[in-house]
Amino acid sequence: MHVLVLAEHDGKRLRAGTAAALGFARDLAEHDGGTVTCLVLGEHVDDVANDAADYGEVLMGAHAVLADPLAERWAEVTAGVVRSESVDILLGASSTFARDVLGRAGGLLGGAMASDVTGFRRDEGRLIWQRPMYAGAVTASVVLHGRPLVITVRPTAAEAPQPRLQPGSITPVEIDADRLPSSTGYLGLDGRPSHRPDVTEARVVVSGGRGLKTTDDFERLVGGLADVFDGATGSSRALVDAGLTRNDLQVGQTGKVVAPELYIAVGISGAVQHLAGMKNSRTIVAINSDPHAPIFEVADYGIVGDLYDIVPEMIQQLDAD
Amino acid sequence: MPIETLTREIFGNIGPVPKAIFYATATVAGLVAAATAWKRIRRWKLGRPEDSRNSLGQVLRAVAGRVLGQATLGKTRPAASAAHRCLFVGFAVLTLGTVLIAVEHVASLIAGRASDDPVFHKGLYYAIYEPVMDLAGLAVLLGTGWFLLRRRRADSSIEHRTSDWFVLGGLLFLAASGFLVEGLRIIEADSPGRWVSFVGATVAGLLEAIGVTRTSAVLLHQVNWWLHAVVALGLLAAVPSTRLWHAVAGGLLLSGHPQRTLGTLTSVTIEEVEATGIYGTGQLTHLAIRQLVSLEACVSCGRCQDECPAHAAGKPLSPRNVVQDLAAQLPEIFSDNAPVLAGEVVSEETLWSCTACSACVEVCPLGVDPLELIVGMRRHLVGTAAVRGSAASTLGKLGRSGNPWGLPADQRMDWAEGLEVPTVDEQPDFDVLYWVGCAAAYDRSSRRTARAMVRLLHAANVRFAVLGERERCTGESARRMGEEFVFAELAAANVAELSRHEVTRIVTHCPHCLNSLKHDYPDAGGHYEVVHHSEFLAELVDQGRLVVDQSNGQAVTFHDPCYLARVNGIVDAPREVLRASGATIDELPRNGCRTACCGGGGGRMWLDDGPDERVGRDRIDEITEAGAETVVVSCPFCRTMIGDGLATQTASVNVVDLAEVLVESLEESG
Amino acid sequence: MSFLVLVPTKRVPDTDGVIRVAPDGLNVDSSHLSFVINPFDAIAVEEALRLQERRDDVEVVVVGIGGEAYEDELRSALAMGADRAIRVDAPEPLDPWNVSSILAELARRLEPQLVLMGKQAVDDDSAQAGQFLAARLGWPQATFASRIDDSDHGAQVARETDHGIETVSITFPAVITTDLRLNEPRYASLPGILAARKKPIEEITLEELEIEIEPRVELVGLEQVSSRRAGQQLDTVTQLLECLRNNTDLF
Repeated sequence: MHVLVLAEHDGKRLRAGTAAALGFARDLAEHDGGTVTCLVLGEHVDDVANDAADYGEVLMGAHAVLADPLAERWAEVTAGVVRSESVDILLGASSTFARDVLGRAGGLLGGAMASDVTGFRRDEGRLIWQRPMYAGAVTASVVLHGRPLVITVRPTAAEAPQPRLQPGSITPVEIDADRLPSSTGYLGLDGRPSHRPDVTEARVVVSGGRGLKTTDDFERLVGGLADVFDGATGSSRALVDAGLTRNDLQVGQTGKVVAPELYIAVGISGAVQHLAGMKNSRTIVAINSDPHAPIFEVADYGIVGDLYDIVPEMIQQLDAD
Repeated sequence: MPIETLTREIFGNIGPVPKAIFYATATVAGLVAAATAWKRIRRWKLGRPEDSRNSLGQVLRAVAGRVLGQATLGKTRPAASAAHRCLFVGFAVLTLGTVLIAVEHVASLIAGRASDDPVFHKGLYYAIYEPVMDLAGLAVLLGTGWFLLRRRRADSSIEHRTSDWFVLGGLLFLAASGFLVEGLRIIEADSPGRWVSFVGATVAGLLEAIGVTRTSAVLLHQVNWWLHAVVALGLLAAVPSTRLWHAVAGGLLLSGHPQRTLGTLTSVTIEEVEATGIYGTGQLTHLAIRQLVSLEACVSCGRCQDECPAHAAGKPLSPRNVVQDLAAQLPEIFSDNAPVLAGEVVSEETLWSCTACSACVEVCPLGVDPLELIVGMRRHLVGTAAVRGSAASTLGKLGRSGNPWGLPADQRMDWAEGLEVPTVDEQPDFDVLYWVGCAAAYDRSSRRTARAMVRLLHAANVRFAVLGERERCTGESARRMGEEFVFAELAAANVAELSRHEVTRIVTHCPHCLNSLKHDYPDAGGHYEVVHHSEFLAELVDQGRLVVDQSNGQAVTFHDPCYLARVNGIVDAPREVLRASGATIDELPRNGCRTACCGGGGGRMWLDDGPDERVGRDRIDEITEAGAETVVVSCPFCRTMIGDGLATQTASVNVVDLAEVLVESLEESG
Repeated sequence: MSFLVLVPTKRVPDTDGVIRVAPDGLNVDSSHLSFVINPFDAIAVEEALRLQERRDDVEVVVVGIGGEAYEDELRSALAMGADRAIRVDAPEPLDPWNVSSILAELARRLEPQLVLMGKQAVDDDSAQAGQFLAARLGWPQATFASRIDDSDHGAQVARETDHGIETVSITFPAVITTDLRLNEPRYASLPGILAARKKPIEEITLEELEIEIEPRVELVGLEQVSSRRAGQQLDTVTQLLECLRNNTDLF
């Protein structure tokens, strides 16, 4: 089996997700002694290719026309490589980049695709993929028919492989720039004003309520805990009312409705308007000094105590990992 | 002097030619008035006819009480109301007097009497007639004078127009010149027993003192008589084109239709919508005739604006302006290109600012219903897909999940965990149904109200039951947001369930549920006796079924909910309950029917804005200033709005429902 | 020249409903579920309508692929303001590849300038159909759009990505998939839905489109992820983190 992993990178190094995807690819390929290759595309990507080479063989398609990650072009090139290299499985880490580029590549390659895969198993020669459906309420097992298969995998589904002692080879790929479509232009990237993801998109949301006294406390505790998870911060209406947080952080019926994998409610009592905004979260953790706070009735895990003690300890323990 | 000789010649000193000219002018004035009135009336006829008109008996009673008795002036603006009563009564009496003179004149002609030999306008009748008329004239002077003086105050809520000067000035002139003419007539006709017309006599005396003789009075009288006549006929002709028209439109409105019960709305079925293609008020022609009349009954006094909590909170809503903006569109009513009312004439933001508190409806002396107009326009917005955001998502959740938060129906009994709360299936021989409502089912804070209520019901051995998981939102918010069909669907489901279990009596702690079950549900075929838990508990205490220990003597303040106090007139029961528990009540400045809205009604609970823009924050300030430690509420909307609002000010104010207060004093007695 | 906007929509269970796997382990128990237009597709319909308000000559056509029950959702879209609807009669559910086959054929026949659709369906959560379609038509794509600034021959699209807002320019015809922050869809009420009855829903069969279904994704099992709240009270942070480690895949 030949597995090709499309690298997502920042111009210098692979992004963490791609490393995990390489680990997943290795788990897939080792069954029949197959190979894993990493495809690095871009303009000046030698550094990225070197980074990827630490994990195995690399194909590098470097050309000015690929300077920006435009799906139109990258998918075309990727599909071309898949065909010419007889790739069985095209893989990438689940991300907006992968959905955009690999999604289009999937369309060019026959549509045997599964997104957000969390695992796989083999059964009578078939590969059965696990993926979440209904916002994670259900795990589906699917079999894909066709070749190649296109998979985007959740970064948490595997671990990055150990870097090899001997880096893999880096083979250039010919880019026929003139044959690439050009109806899309790249106009720029506005990094987020906050370095944090948006509360409606983040996988982890840490939300603060009346228990917090100042904006600094909010930033330090709620923000600090969110950062450990690369998550987003949210707020109950009480803090917005008190002027301690911005309106756009409000989670609730009249604010934002979120459904992250993990919702940590810090010092939030749990009024129904707030609940309406986060009840579909996969896992809910509540931290509150009031043992009778309604939030505990909807939480999976709760700790009664002073958030000013508990949250710093959580941050400390998580950082230590 | 013998009383029989008291009389005066009608049309005295007015010769046949001037009389003829007068009649001609009067006819012209009358025709002008009729023509202008018709222009207005034919616009009204474009509205929808309605069934809810008064019978003749009801009309007469309404005319007596509401029109002549000025019963709708109410308690606001006492000085202006007194001045208006004065002016109105004076003018009405003078008009009646003039009519009587006309009757006398015609009768006299028919009977072929000489001009100094009237049919009835003499003697005792005259002795009473004259002073009454003079008093009436004084009343008009007083009233008009007061209103003219008030104009010098810059009262922003009263809308003054230039034509008002002519009206008020004209009326003042009529009163003054009336006395002048009377005085001059007394001099020139040397009327016997002048002092029955005591004001006229005074004027005559003054005139004589400055040298007016009988001879000079002849011409002066004629001149002033004509001035008086011209101004009077001018005002008559101008009635339909000035603010005076309110008397006609207002009179029709107040007497022609039964007084609207607060908290009710006109229903419309989907079949009607399908048949007419009309839902809500997109154009003036979608309004009922009664409503078109009301647009012209409005005198722009601004009482409604003064009472409006949204306006007080700085929202772009003034009920008066809504009415006047619609009224301004009346000339366009025949056109095909009239602007759409909801959105163009009245902005969407204005329409969504309303909390449906009904203060504007209650306070209007002319019987105008701005709330009905607003809900009508909201219906139009809903029907034309012009609603989005949290309003849209809440309506969607109501329609799909039967509660405003989209929470599962099977969690509706979670609040009762650990308590014995029988459902209608478990206790089919219940005496009263306890309607729990969405807030107590799902909002942990409001659950405390229900849990306290259940304890009280058990303590009093009341055989009650709840609908359980089959209970859905009453749909009250949806209806007031203009979504009649989500309301209809919820109501139909609830009514079916209630009928299945033969429910006749319902007790609820939520005034919005109360109002809906009582006033909205008849439209869906549900007729129940609905009681607020404060009334029910007060009754139980009275009957001795609930024994309470008055030693729990805390000082509390009580916030009257709009839907309890104003819309449903329940003011005493909550206080009885609190007193029974031993609490002493420090009344807030605005209490009882004059309560201040918390801002949660009319669907606004689901519309949230920032704390600095929220309707009802002045109430929060009022409560804070009163220095209350415990605020007792009796409505889940108030509980949330006030609780959240107070929490931004001081953390130490306790917000509890009156059931929780009562339960405490129950438990203390063992 | 008419500017046709094609808006494919999907009928999905209401996200407030509780999703339970049926005893057969292959389907979701839909007996108690309400169905709605996929929220991201509603955003697409809304955006198409706004485009119509901005430009001359825009026709908004919504498409649904499924059985007769689909017509409710199509009527909602028509109630919002779409001009007409097309229902492709086909078995549900179809995987993204087959959805894109059908849409591609429709696009070839109807020649829209723009296909506006939700970035993903909230039942399947695949987020593939739009990209498949764009690839097969050879049209430019702009996925996860949070803002669309259209001009005569194309648009500038702001896209929500993991690293910030990326702006791309595309030329028409194109495929744009919508993200949550693009707009707030308008509410369709019963009167609007009734009025929308006058608007046509055209039914097309797979035979007429000359399409055969070629399944690429075969569902072999559904497993319920426990939705009951554990409600566990923990005493220490260590215990809490242990629980999270064991019960989520975030670590």
